[in-house]
Order: sequence, then C-alpha cells, then structure tokens
Amino acid sequence: MNDSLTLRQPKPTTAKPTTARPAAAARQRPLRQHLSRDEIILRGAMLIGALALLIALVMPLYSLLSKSVQNKDGAFVGLTNFARYANSPSLYNSLSHSLTMALVCTLIVTSLAFMAAYALSRSCMPLKRSFRVILALPILAPSLLPAISLVYLFGNQGVLKSWLLGDSIYGPIGIVIASCFWVLPHAMMIMLTALSHTDARLYESARVLGSSPWRIFFTVTLPSAKYGIISTAFVVFTLVITDFGVPKVIGGQYDMLATDIYKQVIGQQNFEMGAAVSVILLFPAVLAFVVDRWLQRKQAALITARSVPLQPQPRRWTDRTLLLGMLLLSITIVGVIGMAIYASLVKYWPYNLSLGFSNYQFDLMDGGGWGAYWNSLRMALYTALFGTGFIFFQAYLQEKLRGFGWLKHLFQMMALLPLAVPGMVLGLAYIFFFNHPANPLNGLYGTLAILVICTIAHFYTVCHLTAVTALKQIDPEFEAVSASLKVPQYLTFWRVTLPVCLPAVLDIAAYLFVNAMTTVSAVVFLYSYKTMLASVSVLNMDDAGDIAPAAAMAVLIMLTCMAARLLHWLLSKGLLQRSQRWRSPA
Amino acid sequence: MTPTLPTDAHPGSAPYLTLRHIDQFFGQFQALKDISLSISEGEFICFLGPSGCGKTTLLRIIAGLDCQSSGELHQAGRDISLLPVSERDFGIVFQSYALFPNLSVADNIAYGLHNRGATAQQRQQRVAELLATIGLSGSEHKYPAQLSGGQQQRIALARALATSPGLLLLDEPLSALDARVRAHLRNEIKSLQAKLGVTTIMVTHDQEEALTMADRIVVMNAGVIEQVGTPQEIYSQPASAFVADFVGQMNFVSGEVLDQHTLKIGGRTLHCHKCRDFSPHAQVRFGIRPEDVRLRGHQDEANRVRGTVTQMEFLGSFMRSRLQVDGLDAPLLADISMNELRDLNIRPGQQLDVTLPAERLHLFSH
Ligand SMILES: Nc1ncnc2c1ncn2[C@@H]1O[C@H](COP(=O)(O)OP(=O)(O)OP(=O)(O)O)[C@@H](O)[C@H]1O
Ligand SMILES: [Mg+2]
Repeated sequence: MNDSLTLRQPKPTTAKPTTARPAAAARQRPLRQHLSRDEIILRGAMLIGALALLIALVMPLYSLLSKSVQNKDGAFVGLTNFARYANSPSLYNSLSHSLTMALVCTLIVTSLAFMAAYALSRSCMPLKRSFRVILALPILAPSLLPAISLVYLFGNQGVLKSWLLGDSIYGPIGIVIASCFWVLPHAMMIMLTALSHTDARLYESARVLGSSPWRIFFTVTLPSAKYGIISTAFVVFTLVITDFGVPKVIGGQYDMLATDIYKQVIGQQNFEMGAAVSVILLFPAVLAFVVDRWLQRKQAALITARSVPLQPQPRRWTDRTLLLGMLLLSITIVGVIGMAIYASLVKYWPYNLSLGFSNYQFDLMDGGGWGAYWNSLRMALYTALFGTGFIFFQAYLQEKLRGFGWLKHLFQMMALLPLAVPGMVLGLAYIFFFNHPANPLNGLYGTLAILVICTIAHFYTVCHLTAVTALKQIDPEFEAVSASLKVPQYLTFWRVTLPVCLPAVLDIAAYLFVNAMTTVSAVVFLYSYKTMLASVSVLNMDDAGDIAPAAAMAVLIMLTCMAARLLHWLLSKGLLQRSQRWRSPA
Repeated sequence: MTPTLPTDAHPGSAPYLTLRHIDQFFGQFQALKDISLSISEGEFICFLGPSGCGKTTLLRIIAGLDCQSSGELHQAGRDISLLPVSERDFGIVFQSYALFPNLSVADNIAYGLHNRGATAQQRQQRVAELLATIGLSGSEHKYPAQLSGGQQQRIALARALATSPGLLLLDEPLSALDARVRAHLRNEIKSLQAKLGVTTIMVTHDQEEALTMADRIVVMNAGVIEQVGTPQEIYSQPASAFVADFVGQMNFVSGEVLDQHTLKIGGRTLHCHKCRDFSPHAQVRFGIRPEDVRLRGHQDEANRVRGTVTQMEFLGSFMRSRLQVDGLDAPLLADISMNELRDLNIRPGQQLDVTLPAERLHLFSH
C-alpha cells in the first residue's frame, strides 16, 4: 500500500493520434460489454423478482380473465357468463347502486378533503397538528369499523336513531356515511400534496395586481389544484366502488357489485359468475388508474424546481369558518371511533350499559377467537418484513442496475398493475390460480404464506413508487464510483443506499403493516379455518349477529395499528436525530 | 515512500491508453464519430469542447460506464474494449463528487480499500496519508455535508486515488465551484497529478482550465476530434477555424490565395506564410488573433493597413478595440496594451496604421 504514492514523472508526450480510417465503416452489430460477476448476480435477482411478480400477480389475473369466459366444466363459452349476468335484473340494480354510491361519495369526500387540505395548508388556524392526526385516524381501522359504529349510532337500537327521521341506516345512507369516513384520509393525503405544491409567486403577483381574495381563490388556488382534485375524485370513486366491507355490514338489501361477487362465490359457489362480475368491476378501476397516471405526468410538469413554498397569511373570517368546519369533521370522526370503542366495552347493548371486557373474550364466540388476532398480527409482521425487503430491493434494481432495459420496463408495468386491481378481484384471481389442482404451488392454498403474498401484491404499487422516489433522490453515480473502486454493488447497497433511504423503508413497512392488519377484500377469499384473520372475523361475527365482539375486534385492530404508527414515528424520529449530522449541513 | 526516478520513460514506447475508431450511437444520433487517440503514461490530457460535443460520452466509454457502439480500447497492453467497469483500472471523480453522505470522510476515502485485504491500521494510515496530500488532515470524522464544495471535491479526488489506479478520470471536476476556489484547485490538482505521475484525463469546457492544466489538449466538436496537441500548439497553430475560435479569440475574413506568398482579402493583398499550404486561387478563411494585430515596432511594410478605431472596451490589462479597416467589410478586433494606448495616445475615432504580421496569419479552408 505504501508504494502507491510513488513519484513518477510524466513521459514525454510522444504519442500522436493514430491515423483515421479512410472511410467510416458502416454500422456493425453493436458491441456488448461483458457482465461482471456482480451484475450477473443482480440480474439474476431481478429476474427472480420479475418472475415472482408474474406468479403473484399476472398469472392469477390471467386465470381470472380466462375463467370469466368458461363454464363450470372449464369449457370456453365466450361471453355467456356476462350475458347471463347482464340479463339478470340484479346486474342493473347492483350497477346503478354501485355507481350512485360511488358518485355521491366522490362528491362529498372530494369537497371535504379539499376543505380539510385547504384548511391545513393555507389557513392560520390553531390545532393544525391535532386535526391532521385525527383526520388520518380512519386509515388505521378496518372499513368495517365505521359501519359497525353506525349500527350502534343509528341502527334499530341506536342512540341517535331519531336523527334519521324514520329512514333506515341499513342501506344507501349507511353506505355513504361509512364509506366517506374511511376514504377521507386517502383523499386528504392526495389533496394535501396537490395544495402544498403551489407556487407562492403566483399569489404574490395576483395580490400585486389587486385581485380580491375570491378572485384569487378561483383563478389561482383552484386551477393549480385541479389535477389533485381530479386525481382525488378518481381514487375515491374506485375505492368506494370496489369496497365490499361497508356494504356487507351496513348495506342491508342494497346490493352492490362488490357484494354480488361475494355472494356468487361464497354464497352460491358460482366461481365463473364471480369472475365475470370481477371483470366488470375491473373497468372503473382500470379507468381510474389510467387517468391517474396521465394526471401524475401533467402535474409533474406543473411544478418547477424554482417554485417558492407558500406561507399562509392570517385571514380572520376565513380562518374561523375553516376552524369550525374542521372541528365538526374531527368531532364526527372521533365520535364514530369513540362509539365503536364504547360499544365494544358495553356488556349488553342496550339493556346493560355497564362497562367491561366481556366482548373481548373472543374465544367464547365463533369467528376465530384470539387466534384470529394473532394470525393477523403475524401476517402483518411478515407482510411488512418480506414485503418491504422485496419491494425495496426490486425497486433498487429497477433504478440502479445497468442495462436490462426490457426487463425493467416489464417490471415497472407489473409494479403499477396492482393499483388498477380491486382487492376482491385479486383474491378471486388467487383462488382460480393457486387452487387449481394442476398448479405445483397449490400447496400454498390455505396457508398464511398465501395471505402474505396476496397482501404484498395487493399493496405493491404505492410502496414501489415510494421506494423509487426515494432512490431517485440519491446520486446516480454511487454505483459507478463503487464499481470503479471494485466494491461489489450489493455492498454499496447495504452500506450506503439502504441507510440513506431508511426513512422511506420505514414508511413502506408501516404502510404494509397497517394495510395487512385492516384489509378484508382480498383475503376474505383466501383464509382457511387455520388462518382466520382478525379483520375477516369482524365480518363473520357481524354476520352471525355478534356485533359487540365484532366492534371489539375492530377496535383491537385499530389500536394495534395505532401502536404500529407510534412505533414508526418514534423510530423515524430517532433515526433522523441520529443521522442529522450527515443529513443536514453544519 | 521514496521518490523513484523515471527509469522507464522510453520515448516511443507503447502508449498507455489507446482508443481506436470509437463510434457511439444513441438511437440514430451519432454522438462520437471515429475517435482515435493514444495517451502516454503519466500524461495529463484534457478533453475540451462545447456543450454536447461528446466529452462525457467518451469519458464514460473509457470508464466502461457505457459501451461503445464500435471500436477498441487498450489500456496498459490489455484489451479493455468489453471489460466491465469493475475489471478496469481507473479512479473517477464526477461533477457531483458522488460522496457517500452517510459515511465519514475517512470511510469515504477508505471505501475501496476494504475488500483488498488491507488491515484497519493500514487503511487508517493510507487515509491519513491521502488527507495530508490534499491538505485536509484532521477531517477524518467529518461528514461530506459538513465540508465546503472545494473540500468535498478534494475528498472525492482522494477517494479515487486511494486504490492507486493507473488512470484518473475527472468529469468537469471544478465546474461546480466558484472562480476563486476553482483557480486554486486547478493548481493543486495539477501539482498532485505531477507528483503522483498518474495518467489523467479531465473533461472540461473551460479553455482556461485546459490551457493551464493539460500536457495535451484534445479539442472536440460535434463528436469528432478537431485537434490534439500541447496547449501552445493548440493556441498558436489551431488546426481548424473551430479550434481557433473556441480556444482564444480570432478575427475571420474570407479571402483567396493568389500564390505561395500572397493572399487577397477585400480589395487588397497581404503576405502570408501559410499560403504555401494552399493551391493558388483556393478560397480560404483568413484569421488573426486580436493580440497579434501590431500597432508599432514591426517592419512588414506589405502587411500594413490603415484603420479607424470605432469602439474600445476596457478589459483590465488591455483595451479590446474595434477597427474599421479600409477594404474590409467586417471590423477587426485588436488588443491594445495599456502602454501602447498611453504612448500612442489612442482615442476612438482616431486613424491608425496597423500591421498584420505575415507569420501570425492563419488560413483555414472553407
Ligand atoms: N444516454 C444518451 N442517450 C441519448 N443521447 C445522449 C445520451 N448521452 C448523451 N447523449 C447525447 O450525446 C451528445 C454528447 O453528450 P455528452 O454528454 O457527451 O456531451 P458533453 O460534451 O459532455 O457536454 P457537456 O459539456 O454539456 O457535459 C449530446 O448531444 C447528448 O444529448
Ligand atoms: Mg459532460
């Protein structure tokens, strides 16, 4: 090592450029560089990853599509299933119900989310932090929780039944309220991003030109948030039309497409029909997906690097009105959650209102008992662990591996696909694919593993995009530098890339954990009596009339998710403190 | 560490790095056209050219970060045309430095030493040695974000040199720094390179950087090499109008060669040594650098012209003046030193006799 700084004198500059070719040769076949051992290993890993996505996503969906054009015996019947379903009066009903509910919720949630996001990002009201936390709470509970809570509030024995003036909560009213409740945080997050990206310079010029506040709102605020608004509307529409937990619990006789699938498959064991309805359900989801992708591109072009963040100015009446609105919204949310907690503690509604934990003795009821809870916890932990590892590493390969363009392209498409596939459709697709006797993987059926795989696949896209965004922010030359220093690329991944991206990795893990705890739609087709999950047992206990234990289980799920979020927050904070020395300039 | 004398310097020995007929295509677009070049061991080479001419593309091919569409590369007698990055022998410094933000300065510099069987103590010693070389002793435990741009730049250089590579590649290493730091680092990099004797290729679009640092400059334009030569050669004998214009300043006028010694521009004839290289009646571009326009002390009667000063621009040690010369359409730029200005008492509007020395005139084919 010591002789390396040996002095060498430059040689006299004797060399001249070699003579040029007489005529530039015609283009030959392009050369290909040899691959290093490193690259061969990583390419292998990427191939395996792509294969995994193919098996966990594309092939099941293919099975579903082909099943929808087959009869019970597996013979090709063209569009017969669709025709049969189209001719049944139930389709018209379900379709119009689903569309109505989705449209109404879209209208309500988009307006509320805009109001809330505007209040949080553009006003000077107090308590912003608390509002932000409260409005995000519903995401930590299964969508069944608000539905159950509504039963206690407005059901036949509900405390506020009189507010409905004789209408029943079982049906469209209940569906709309409960759906709005659980969809709101999703909508608000998109809207907050859209509003926080506005350029302060636009407002300054508007004010300098003497525009009135209303004029500024309609000519600057709304237009600059328009992509966010459209994107929110599409997301809400898809979430509502593909959700099945809420209509199942509080929909009564009000059939919707998602409940139709459940009935066809679980109730009548009519898988082919279920597949046909699933394909119909795919349409709005795919449409929303396409529109969203298109908008993302437009929005990215809208924000320039030189945008100046906006500092809100106090406005007395606007701030007060918004505060009032936020208070009402927060009280509603806290009220709905509080009611569920209260109901879970009440001994025997409405006759014995003394409190206790008798409803938490799940082992005394049908529906999986505490075992279901532990299953859920294990499932969520595995999902967070393996899901984060797989998704982040694959995203890393996608972003930082040299060459292999065609595979990256394919992988990116597969990674975006889950966003366009409703959970129920994915679950059903898994039945068709993994339960097929000819599938060598059918041993997975009925295990916890298939639930973990399905959940990772179901929530893949958001995690993938989070990882890609984080990876894009680090210097693209790290890999080149480490290769020039002859350090294997996976070592640089471990020593540099992963530590730098750790906040994003934690975000992904927390997101996967919470969603694995609360999800119902895909796993409801895949659990077995050994792998009963907490969220599914909420559904089953509710179905069996054990509403109080269902509420208790839903509350338990929510508390677990809160604990996970808290842990995530503490970890991120600790991490940021530890890495502050190198993250921010002195 | 004992300095050894250059015992292996045989002029005419095999070059250290040879590029042969390198082409690079991006789709239909050809970014490099038939690039051939030889570099001797220990040389400091600058790739100089305007933005988009293909400098970075060529550097990345030498590093193996991109693969050329066709052509061969040999380094130290080894065919490296198709070798992956990790099997080539070079250190590289990027414009962004690409320092690992979560590793301390010491860990950054020692990054390439870990998997070479060096003990912790050897690594530490090597880091200390390199930090001393770049004048940043004692910053072992700092993080890159705590250092200034110039310091980060030197750390990146130390990291690239830590494994004693045979070739050092620098892609615009100074362009992100302010002018003062840049001038300082220019000297420092140059003397470090001379001390270590490591063959170095630096990409730059700054002619001053290239002229002050390089042993030889490779001037590139639109994917081809326009000229290779020492800074003096490039400046005083530019091989093309492009080089003459890109490196330094030059006045250009269209003209016609009359015979071996004379040239016709506008309405008049001039003596010019370069006419030998052209056949009579060739249409040429005639060029002269502003500082070669003489105001006094030159006895070449034949090349004396009369002009009027129309404009003067103060540039510190000299005055760049626009002269309207009889018989020429375009104005001629001439640099007048402050001494001449004072002695000859030159003012705008004044008429002057200036000489265009025959040995300083350049001719380029159209
Ligand atoms: N990966 C690529 N795909 C397509 N075109 C490319 C690619 N890389 C470079 N080019 C094109 O090749 C040409 C040469 O690019 P290169 O980066 O080598 O220029 P440069 O001389 O380094 O310029 P600069 O001084 O701006 O860095 C440019 O026209 C560029 O647009
Ligand atoms: Mg460049």
